[in-house]
Amino acid sequence: MRVPRFLLVVVLAVVAVVAGGLLSTPGPARSQQPADVLLNVIASGAKRLNIAIPDFTLVGGTDPSGLVKQLPAVVGNDLNFSALFSVLAGAPAIPANNPAAQREAWANFAAAGAHAALLGLLTTRADRAEVEMRLFDLTSPEQRLIASKKFEMPVAQARRLSHKIADDVVLQFTGEAGVADTKIACTVAGGGAKEIYVMDYDGVAPVKMTTTRSINLSPAWSPDTRSIAFTSYMNGYPYLYRLFAFEKRPMQLLAGYGGINSSPAWSPDGKSIALTLSKDGNPEVYVLNVANGALRRLTNNAAIDTEPTWSPTGREIAFVSDRAGLGNIFVMDAEGTNVRRLTQAGFNTQPRWSPKGDAIAFTSRQGNFDLWAINPDGSNLRRLTAGPGDNQGPSWAPDGRHLVFQSSRTGSFQLFTMLADGSEQTLLTKGPSETTSGAWSPRLP
Amino acid sequence: MVPRPGRALFTGHRWTSAVLVAPLLLLAVFLAGCPKRPATSAASAPAPVVATPPPAPSAAAPAPPAVTPPPPAPAPSTEPPSTATPAIPAPPPGAPPKPSEFAENENLRDIHFDFDKYDIRPDDARILDANAAWLKTNQRNLVLIEGHCDERGMSEYNLALGERRAKSAMNYLVAQGVAANRITTISYGKERPLCTEKTEACWARNRRAHTLTKAQ
Repeated sequence: MRVPRFLLVVVLAVVAVVAGGLLSTPGPARSQQPADVLLNVIASGAKRLNIAIPDFTLVGGTDPSGLVKQLPAVVGNDLNFSALFSVLAGAPAIPANNPAAQREAWANFAAAGAHAALLGLLTTRADRAEVEMRLFDLTSPEQRLIASKKFEMPVAQARRLSHKIADDVVLQFTGEAGVADTKIACTVAGGGAKEIYVMDYDGVAPVKMTTTRSINLSPAWSPDTRSIAFTSYMNGYPYLYRLFAFEKRPMQLLAGYGGINSSPAWSPDGKSIALTLSKDGNPEVYVLNVANGALRRLTNNAAIDTEPTWSPTGREIAFVSDRAGLGNIFVMDAEGTNVRRLTQAGFNTQPRWSPKGDAIAFTSRQGNFDLWAINPDGSNLRRLTAGPGDNQGPSWAPDGRHLVFQSSRTGSFQLFTMLADGSEQTLLTKGPSETTSGAWSPRLP
Repeated sequence: MVPRPGRALFTGHRWTSAVLVAPLLLLAVFLAGCPKRPATSAASAPAPVVATPPPAPSAAAPAPPAVTPPPPAPAPSTEPPSTATPAIPAPPPGAPPKPSEFAENENLRDIHFDFDKYDIRPDDARILDANAAWLKTNQRNLVLIEGHCDERGMSEYNLALGERRAKSAMNYLVAQGVAANRITTISYGKERPLCTEKTEACWARNRRAHTLTKAQ
């Protein structure tokens, strides 16, 4: 099916008029509704925007480490991962200050099917790198400049510089930033211990966060991305701690009650942690005030109540209970009232509320373990994975479009990513140690 | 210098169909993306986030805009003294003796559980009767009951399940006259299996409550 040519012309004309009005007068943030609708159209149809990213152009300083190639390569990986773009990388750099060469290059990319192009102008000063990103609309006859923006980072953080550029490209085209400038925390097994690691969202540059030589479980990012709450046996018993991922700051004990101190989930405002304590006899869900340690008990039931997860509004909490037999997912108001059952059949655990609020992903055992999702009102139950192996432990990216999870399909548990509809399942960690409990961070500040 | 036209240059996605969507995407730019920020802005990135601070810029380089780090988060009451930076925070005051202080006791036997269950099976009740009898005649022993699960399922739920198993065993012993204040429970969930084969026989061995003692 082809769109009639006159319709394309009309649409582009509308775009041009709107652009003329808006580009020159930056205003307050608008509703993202139009962009979201369009984004959904793209995602469900698996259609991508073609973007050309030639090697960056060095316009100042020196480049002994080859950033002009490294930076666009990472940007390209990020944009391909977004599933919104199809990237051409590796083409030669556009000569600096040569409009004719640039125009000819863009025309050739456009002839090859590119809808957009990204020009990167690199300047290095001592140990810092600055890139001016220029985005062009190759579907317009004048190769219109869509946006121009500068990013700066230490050279040692070159990957992060690329991630920020990629996230801004996604922002320019969809109204919401990408998720390349995020981290994934996880646990890595070895020698009878499980230590917590943090790596880039794409699995690169893992950093060991704990060296307790004990079992450490359930890492959970604070909304400000500064700290990770987790359960650890470092003092013998399963207490709740937090570590500071990017600061030289000691770990803190957050909850050291008798029994289990498990399943931490930060409230959206970062002031509280919902968790499971068994100090009063059996596992119940509580809310811990991080500032003063005060506790509020939410559940009161002879059955197991555990694994709380907040709705992004902070007004509701989903959790797991076996009060109706096997473990199933329930939802309650954040005060512990108005409990209603969400899942019916099977053995369902590990609920994780989407940051967009519209879905709860979870793990279901029906034979093997697989990932499912359901709307918070109980509608639209759908299966996201169907083997091979066991698939468990979903964690949402901050855009609600991607998930990280663990799968045993390669023989040992490793982390994978996928889109929220279960497509694009991709191996993230390659072992050999068992790697589990992936926790996707919010966007870094 | 310039790229050759040709679909093969790109990384294997459906360009033709994407062409149809491009105008919509571009429209999205103007409806939502652009109004948020000026067409040109020089925004320097915020402070780098790294485990070890980056080296300071050399004197010759213009200093990057200083980014003030956010104030430290409020510390919970359990935070250790700021003068010390221990690798491991101290346990809470009044914590029971560490599990490593408890020893295996050949007089006490394990009990086992059905999948996803924590009720005491009749045969296991007799084992607990014998355990209770020994503990009542050996009053100077503190007791640690470990609850374990098989490998199937998830860490968090199994932690709760193992806790219920340890508590089931503890409640039974208390009902038989063992003082509750002698007993501590600990759940290891699925984290410390006895047996790692993927068979029902192995999983059944792992679903257990295991009892240790510490002489006072």
